Amino acid sequence: MRFFLAFRVFFKLIFNRSFAESVQTLQSEPDRITAPVKEEKRKAPSKPVPTQGRSEAITLLAALQREARLLDLIMEPLADYSDEQVGAAARDVLRDSATVINRFFAITSLSDAEEGSRVEAPENFDPQKYRLTGQVSDAESRSGQLTHHGWEAQKCEIPKWSGKQDSRNIIAPIEIQV
Amino acid sequence: MPAEYAIGVDLGTTNSVLSFTRLDSEVPQPEAFPLTQIVAAHTTEALPSLLSFCYLASETEMKEGALDLPWVNGRSYGVGRWAKTRSADQPDRTVGAAKSWLSHAGVNRRDSILPWNAPSEVEKISPLTASQRYLEHLVDAWNLEHPGSLFGDQKIVLTLPASFDPVARDLTREAALAAGFPPDFVLLEEPQAAVYSWLNKQGDDWRKRLKVGETILVCDVGGGTTDLTLIRVVDERGDLSLQRVAVGKHLLVGGDNMDLSLAFLAAELFREKGIQLDPWQSVSMWHSCRQAKENLLAADGQDSEQISVLGRGSKLIGGTVSVELKRQVASQLLLDGFAPFCGLDELPTSQPASGFQEIGLPYESDPAITKHVAEFLNHHCAEDGNICLPDHVLFNGGVFKADGFRQRLLAVFDQWSGTSTSIRELSDNAELDHAVSRGACYYAWTKERGGTRIRGGVPSAYYVGIETSGLAIPGAPRPLKALCVVPFGMEEGTELEVASEEIGLVLGQPVRFRFFGSSVRKSDTAGYLLSNWESGELFETDPLEATFQSAEDDQTGYLPVRFESRITELGMFELWCISRKADEKWKLQFSVRED
Repeated sequence: MRFFLAFRVFFKLIFNRSFAESVQTLQSEPDRITAPVKEEKRKAPSKPVPTQGRSEAITLLAALQREARLLDLIMEPLADYSDEQVGAAARDVLRDSATVINRFFAITSLSDAEEGSRVEAPENFDPQKYRLTGQVSDAESRSGQLTHHGWEAQKCEIPKWSGKQDSRNIIAPIEIQV
Repeated sequence: MPAEYAIGVDLGTTNSVLSFTRLDSEVPQPEAFPLTQIVAAHTTEALPSLLSFCYLASETEMKEGALDLPWVNGRSYGVGRWAKTRSADQPDRTVGAAKSWLSHAGVNRRDSILPWNAPSEVEKISPLTASQRYLEHLVDAWNLEHPGSLFGDQKIVLTLPASFDPVARDLTREAALAAGFPPDFVLLEEPQAAVYSWLNKQGDDWRKRLKVGETILVCDVGGGTTDLTLIRVVDERGDLSLQRVAVGKHLLVGGDNMDLSLAFLAAELFREKGIQLDPWQSVSMWHSCRQAKENLLAADGQDSEQISVLGRGSKLIGGTVSVELKRQVASQLLLDGFAPFCGLDELPTSQPASGFQEIGLPYESDPAITKHVAEFLNHHCAEDGNICLPDHVLFNGGVFKADGFRQRLLAVFDQWSGTSTSIRELSDNAELDHAVSRGACYYAWTKERGGTRIRGGVPSAYYVGIETSGLAIPGAPRPLKALCVVPFGMEEGTELEVASEEIGLVLGQPVRFRFFGSSVRKSDTAGYLLSNWESGELFETDPLEATFQSAEDDQTGYLPVRFESRITELGMFELWCISRKADEKWKLQFSVRED
């Protein structure tokens, strides 16, 4: 397509003076091509091509810091404070972190059984889903006491980020009170 | 394109929600549509509701594209979660509670007045524009996901408070049309939507739970407003049917007031410790207080709840300060402040004194919701001086997530009913945040597919002011009479001629009529001329206005007319002046200009 366009434009440039002049201006004013079109109204939006300029892991950290201040909590040297002080701050941070993580991942337990109760892994179980500990003598032993119910994410929906490349590793901005 | 979906939109004071279901589904199961919005600079996320806040960005942020959405770039404002976050550190650039402003007759709702009290360098917007932006966002978010079934082609129902006056309804409709709603979209009162949500959950079982003659009180306490509605179960040709028989006044008191007063209490405790909170900390404390409210008012709540305000800088632990809120103190403040035990004859006080007053919006001076309910029952359920208590109550609104509040209201109702049968709760089990949009969606579905409808017509009678002729007394205004042009309950899709004495119109210059409504005068018929009324019986809204030009001008410059009123299929009120001389007519428009 572009090849034919170039071909047509080439001849039009040579034979059409006014066309040549407008191409001239177009070339000298690159802004005219790239300048954002002022907000188009009420047109049905189309899906954009996602720009993957940043690791989702950074976006996750940014959300945990923004909404729960998790980084502030874990980056602070704990030795300076009493348990009571840590507890007071952690309560809110943990609560808000859970909100964020549940929103993004919808975390559920893998097993419904009570911890401590006797359970049995199915035949030919998926070793990713079950981990047998203790004396696993023969290949047939699959039942035992549930020590951890496991966790699973029901979804993984991380916010979309669309900033500049050179700020892609910024987790939280510098704040200045004017 | 034929419509594929039934969509219900709840444009809330603090949260807006969109629910949808396929029109061809046999049993409608409305689900919340995830709404992509800006949650931080350059960051978008789909959330179950759109926070009804609008942040007016600085030039830099706009150029940087910090507010870009998947469907638009270079926008100078952002709505949703991030806008709400920014209201803490940039209150001057953030618009909130636009819906309350839209129904505030004391200001010109088309004027750029928000954010209220913002400095002059901020380019303000009008309550109408703010509402339009929220709705536009919902439309765009939908269209992005449904390029084959655009919003404008679907069957849409938009909710508004039952207590909205005709002007606020008109403005809401205008905002929605400008936002890209289809011309045939329908407005539905929020308390009715809550009932539809209940009907949807019950299926056909609702007929077993309600009997002919019973009444349901819908108690809808949102973030900013309280909306009361009474619905009666009637017999319609042998089948049960529902009829909305009364709506309450527009009450500006809601869950936000409760959070704010708890925050006020907490701030007091911080002050006792010698800690002064900055605005940013106050907002984060407000957020903690909302959570604490629900915990403290829960049936199995702790004896106290810790309210912490985290350190502002990166020294989070060191900077954290906290106070202990005692359950007893908090529940006393919230329950006795907002739902005190009171007699049925104890009406709200109206002296303008309380800590909740804020310049601008006319908040209720008495936050006691139970007293407002008592007043409502006095107005609408009294027969021969006795109050017939409703048989059922349906609670709606995020406030009822605090179980203690619900229990308290039921306890107050129990006290009112004394030895007779108590008021039973119709529980919904739906998520309280979504019931209204869900109900609206279900209603949109039933409009196409059939189902139980709540009948009701207009929620109040309307009047135009007529200055009586007579000898003018210098310095005294001519006595004003009110001509009833729409009787209470006039149904959608009907029109009626208003019988009246001859009314003369001046031609060629704007003519204005003062306009009144009344939700308590239920027996006035169209054409009834009211010469005196008790204070509070009639409320005045913006005037109606038109300029009349007639081909039949007989040089007197004066034309005799009669009125004709219409309630359109979509529930909109129209008042027409019909010439008595020729085949001419003019529609009167609400004028929201200030004088």
